[in-house]
Amino acid sequence: MRRFKARWREWGAALVFLGPGLVLLWLFVIWPALQTLSLSLQDRTGFVGLTNFRHLFSLPAIVNPQRFLRQEPPWGALFHNLVWVFIHLPITVGLGLVLAVVYARVRRWWVGLARGALFLGIVTPMIVGGVIIRYLFEGHSGIIPQLLGTLGLGRPWSSGWMAFPETALLGLILGSIWLWTGFSMILHSAGLSAIDPELFEAAKIDGASTWAEFRYITVPLLRPVTFVVAVMTFLWELKIFDIVYVATMGGPGKASTVLALEMYLATFRSLDPYRGAAIATLITAFSLPLGYWFATRRLRR
Amino acid sequence: MLKRLGIGLLTAVVGLLAWSAEPLVVIGPWSGAEAEPFEAVLQAFTEKTGIPVDYRVMRAEDLAAVLPAQFGAGLTPGDLIFTAWGWWVKEFAEHMVDVSGEIAGIPFTTDPLIVDGRAVGVPYVTWVKPGFWYRKSFFEAHGLTPPTTWEEFIALLEKIEAIPGIEKAAASGDGVGWPLSDMTEHFIITFGGLNMHLGLIEGTIKWESPEVRAIFENYLIPFLAHASDPIEWTAALDMWWDGKYGIYFMGNWLTGMVEDPNDLGVFTLPGCQAVVGGTDYMFIPKYSKRVDDALALLRYLVSVEGVALRVSKGGKLSMRADVGPEHYPPAEAALAQAVGALSIAPDMDDTIGGDWQLAFWDQLKLLWVKPEALDDVLRALDAAYPKKG
Repeated sequence: MRRFKARWREWGAALVFLGPGLVLLWLFVIWPALQTLSLSLQDRTGFVGLTNFRHLFSLPAIVNPQRFLRQEPPWGALFHNLVWVFIHLPITVGLGLVLAVVYARVRRWWVGLARGALFLGIVTPMIVGGVIIRYLFEGHSGIIPQLLGTLGLGRPWSSGWMAFPETALLGLILGSIWLWTGFSMILHSAGLSAIDPELFEAAKIDGASTWAEFRYITVPLLRPVTFVVAVMTFLWELKIFDIVYVATMGGPGKASTVLALEMYLATFRSLDPYRGAAIATLITAFSLPLGYWFATRRLRR
Repeated sequence: MLKRLGIGLLTAVVGLLAWSAEPLVVIGPWSGAEAEPFEAVLQAFTEKTGIPVDYRVMRAEDLAAVLPAQFGAGLTPGDLIFTAWGWWVKEFAEHMVDVSGEIAGIPFTTDPLIVDGRAVGVPYVTWVKPGFWYRKSFFEAHGLTPPTTWEEFIALLEKIEAIPGIEKAAASGDGVGWPLSDMTEHFIITFGGLNMHLGLIEGTIKWESPEVRAIFENYLIPFLAHASDPIEWTAALDMWWDGKYGIYFMGNWLTGMVEDPNDLGVFTLPGCQAVVGGTDYMFIPKYSKRVDDALALLRYLVSVEGVALRVSKGGKLSMRADVGPEHYPPAEAALAQAVGALSIAPDMDDTIGGDWQLAFWDQLKLLWVKPEALDDVLRALDAAYPKKG
């Protein structure tokens, strides 16, 4: 009887604590996600199976393998998202790690300022970030084209980057590094502060160089943090939207479009919620395995 | 008991006052200098009726993103809303109030939007995209004159580019892309004729057809050699006005955005027989809690008094046959006279709408910086054209 009561109390407590969260999760995440999945398998006439997905992969705006890496963009939204991951992820994660280490070691007046400037990037709304990027690379007033112009580079590098298919995607990616590196730096800084200082002292006594300390102590001990940052960055890059929407609207000629923007345009411009839902499902399908693996890996630990 | 009753009464009165002071929300696409003339009309309405109005800016693109979800929930962010996208209003006609009774008998020069016998969108003043604007003082100072032949037009561009301080002869406005499409439509109407323009709208003529391609190859692309890269259109306006560029293609709302409208001159491409014209449509969502006040505002805006007041501020032309050029400021009067002999063609991208509109803008941005991509651009425009049925 006592055991039953204890068990009942345990279940009751679990229900009280988990219940509200589960209800909200069901209402605002799981149910809409299932609805989206269901919508992606329909059109105006009813159930159509995977037709919407087959149609998606026939659209050059989504995948354009004929041009990918052979000609300048457009390469299709899916490939553009992959390019984001390929360029943006290593730079932001690596830069955040290096800057966290530098800021932890250097004791100068400007460190706080530099850290603040970097932090500003992650508190800046992405929609504002898109506007900043647009003007940063604008032909007449943008600092980057002006700088490259004085170095003797011609079009498109010294013109408005967002106007040219060769530079629009690259400009968006490079411009957004500032907006995201702060996130990587902060998490790595937090991770650094958790490393026992005695490890570095012992390494110094053993005559280890700064590089050796970084290579054999900092990087391995920060690996779990780096892993979290990389996963979060990957997911951010998959669902990137606002920066692209404001700075280029995916152009010129779809040269900088991404999956989330195509989802928006399909739903709200073409008034085709079925295609929009199919793209949304595609984005989820790409992010879900990583999210699942990440969650189960964390749970195992 | 009495105390409670008193508090309840007081709360009700305060609530009622707060409700009555709640302004009517009007949403439109105009901002900054472009919005000022319209705000003056709203002000006049408030003075006349005592109904306060709160004007908020939302572009057609923003409305298209926000309204479907709002309508789905039986809500609306505005009581009277303006958009240039007639196609969009028709698509969502079931959510609009039928205003047939309010506009009966008005001699519109542009048709209202009628869906299943219900008037769901009402034209509010009109605009035209008459051609290339120039500063008279700039042309006089440099001995330039508007061209009468294509050869003269090209010679004019070359002369402008020879002037010290000029970056390119023509400024190319950008934003989401519509200024480039306006210019392209002007080339199509001039060198392909009104029928080609209408055929492209209806889908009976292909973009890849030799006659359409020839217009791009023989006229638009040679012109692009003298045009700037796309620049945000209000920034381009300032740069053109400051003398970095000699001419600027824009709609007549430009007259309300420059320091001295009397210094403005405009010319069409030589041989042009029609110009693109259009309107912004106003509609009242049926979810508005102030439908009666919104109808009162709509009635005022389309009245002779309301239209005359708006067009007198410049930047727009009348959409009523009984409000004529006598109400226009000098720049608009001259413009009305200049385009009076020309036919008015519908705006291509606003008429087709949807995916195609965005593709048109986006592909033209590409063409402007990469004219060698012409065939890809034309192919993309044909591919994006809405499928029938």
